[in-house]
Amino acid sequence: MASERYSFSLTTFSPSGKLVQIEYALAAVAAGAPSVGIKASNGVVIATENKHKSILYDEHSVHKVEMITKHIGMIYSGMGPDYRLLVKQARKMAQQYYLVYQEPIPTVQLVQRVAAVMQEYTQSGGVRPFGVSLLICGWDSDRPYLFQCDPSGAYFAWKATAMGKNYINGKTFLEKRYSEDLELDDAVHTAILTLKESFEGQMTADNIEVGICDASGFRRLDPSHVKDYLANIP
Amino acid sequence: MSILAYNGGAMVAMKGENCVSIATDRRFGIQAQTIATNFEKVFQMGPHLYVGLPGLATDTQTVMEKLRFRKNLYELKENRLMSPKVFAAMLSNLLYEKRFGPFFVEPVVAGLMPKTYEPYICNMDLIGCINPPNDFVVGGTASAQLYGMCEALWEPNLGPEDLFETTSQALINAFDRDAISGWGATVYIIEKDKVTIKNLKTRMD
Amino acid sequence: MFATENAYYPDYSTKPIQHSFSPYADNGGSVVAIAGDDFVVVGADTRLSAGFSIYTREQNKLFPLSNTTVLGCSGCWCDTLTLTRILKSRMQMYHQEHNKVMSTTACAQMLSTMLYYKRFFPYYISNILVGLDNEGKGCIYSYDPIGHCEKTTYRAGGSAGALLQPLLDNQIGQKNLTKVSAESITQEKALAILKDVFISAAERDIYTGDNVMINIITKDGIKEDNFELRKD
Repeated sequence: MASERYSFSLTTFSPSGKLVQIEYALAAVAAGAPSVGIKASNGVVIATENKHKSILYDEHSVHKVEMITKHIGMIYSGMGPDYRLLVKQARKMAQQYYLVYQEPIPTVQLVQRVAAVMQEYTQSGGVRPFGVSLLICGWDSDRPYLFQCDPSGAYFAWKATAMGKNYINGKTFLEKRYSEDLELDDAVHTAILTLKESFEGQMTADNIEVGICDASGFRRLDPSHVKDYLANIP
Repeated sequence: MSILAYNGGAMVAMKGENCVSIATDRRFGIQAQTIATNFEKVFQMGPHLYVGLPGLATDTQTVMEKLRFRKNLYELKENRLMSPKVFAAMLSNLLYEKRFGPFFVEPVVAGLMPKTYEPYICNMDLIGCINPPNDFVVGGTASAQLYGMCEALWEPNLGPEDLFETTSQALINAFDRDAISGWGATVYIIEKDKVTIKNLKTRMD
Repeated sequence: MFATENAYYPDYSTKPIQHSFSPYADNGGSVVAIAGDDFVVVGADTRLSAGFSIYTREQNKLFPLSNTTVLGCSGCWCDTLTLTRILKSRMQMYHQEHNKVMSTTACAQMLSTMLYYKRFFPYYISNILVGLDNEGKGCIYSYDPIGHCEKTTYRAGGSAGALLQPLLDNQIGQKNLTKVSAESITQEKALAILKDVFISAAERDIYTGDNVMINIITKDGIKEDNFELRKD
């Protein structure tokens, strides 16, 4: 069978000990739309660019900010289709956890399980690694959480971070702006500013997406709400 | 006769003021014939968490092993203790997996919630339907007798000493009227900073 | 093929259909009796039911057979009606033949014989016969459906019998207690315990509830009492 020819893992070591497939995946992420996440004292914010190539595009129909459970949300940099598969799996894992334990899944647990899926795609036959890095934010045990999940299956807990195009500048910007006792409102403001750093063209409520998570759960901000934040930005 | 009544056994758990109790008889028999009088069917699953598995003795042990397996994995994965409520949900899930070929046990869970030390008790049927009341739960072949005893003896806000007395009297008098339960009893009183285990002498006939 | 089709269309089945008739019904109900030195109290709930339906909430299940003897019945109500009717006539025949009222002990023996007489088509009743013996002491006789008789000082029978008997063992028989009092039970305490145990039974037994009819038998005759139970 022809497909058997590819039933080995495509992610194999190069002679120098690198997994180039994963490096290519990270390159796909670094070329993707920028996204940021910031933890505040009373919540956490995630935001990303959602620019469209044509004015004919119908905005606010397909979203980049997605809710996983009531208290966990997710965004990405990289390839949309890969992201949607992970969102679907993450939602399913969250519900499976709830089914067994009758308790919402802790953010750490969800991150570990999503990361395990991403790792599996680096060692399985006939598949390629995911072309996305995820930012997963959540609120449980009375505190906020922010994680990044990479195509390799590695995951990191951040106070604030940036991914995608120009992420190095984004991170430098955040390092300067971040403080421990940031309030959620200020964090949203800072997140938008970070996106603006590398934004090409006019930033509007229609070409960025913001999600916030606090004690009351996760929600995506509607454009009118985002507009209010943009009004405070010079 | 039902497979649930093959080995016999009685089980009760009660809520008190900042404490819970769980108590059981110690008989292991095959129908009317008593084989042993030191059989364990209440198991510690955490510092403040106990589960009792009255029913078919082989399933008592199998379900206990399976529960310990799943609970240990959970505690390693999540790096925290399992709360009684989560434990009950997990047990219910385990039992319902065998909906059409069940384990013949009627579990009783008793414990204190981590951090708050709030009392929690529940029981369930052999396919995992949870019942979490505010007073007491019973299980095993002497359940009718136990319901009668508990309904009369239990009262709200019992302290650890009174809870021990109430639980013991309810259990012993109930299983003395059941031919396949008894032959000694064990009572566990679970408090915030100590668990008291007492083996009681009872009539052996 | 036809066999499976007939499962869906029983009207077209050509196989013979077996019907059956059960001569017994379980109409529930509980009876509790407690005897003292010079009295005996007996209580029965007043609910008459079958399965999940209640026929009546005010059915007396206590049958005075003489001034010193009362029978409490629960189980199959039609059998109870028949048995108590025959008992009544046997009491009358005894009275006419011997020119005296039958004693509680004689009555107890007669009931046992009457039940065993129907050994192979028994009266499906849990009987508790109470009264005063020849010395005026309270006594209780409990029966299985085919006439086995046991003399006791306290007894619970009927649908909540299993729930209540251990409670009486503990509260009246003083079983498993370290401090045992030598004094015999007073009428007030017996009544209080009787009411308590019925309240407990009504909580968990759906066939026990509504009201409790109580007969207090002393040398002065039979006094009636009544109190309410939960009705759901």
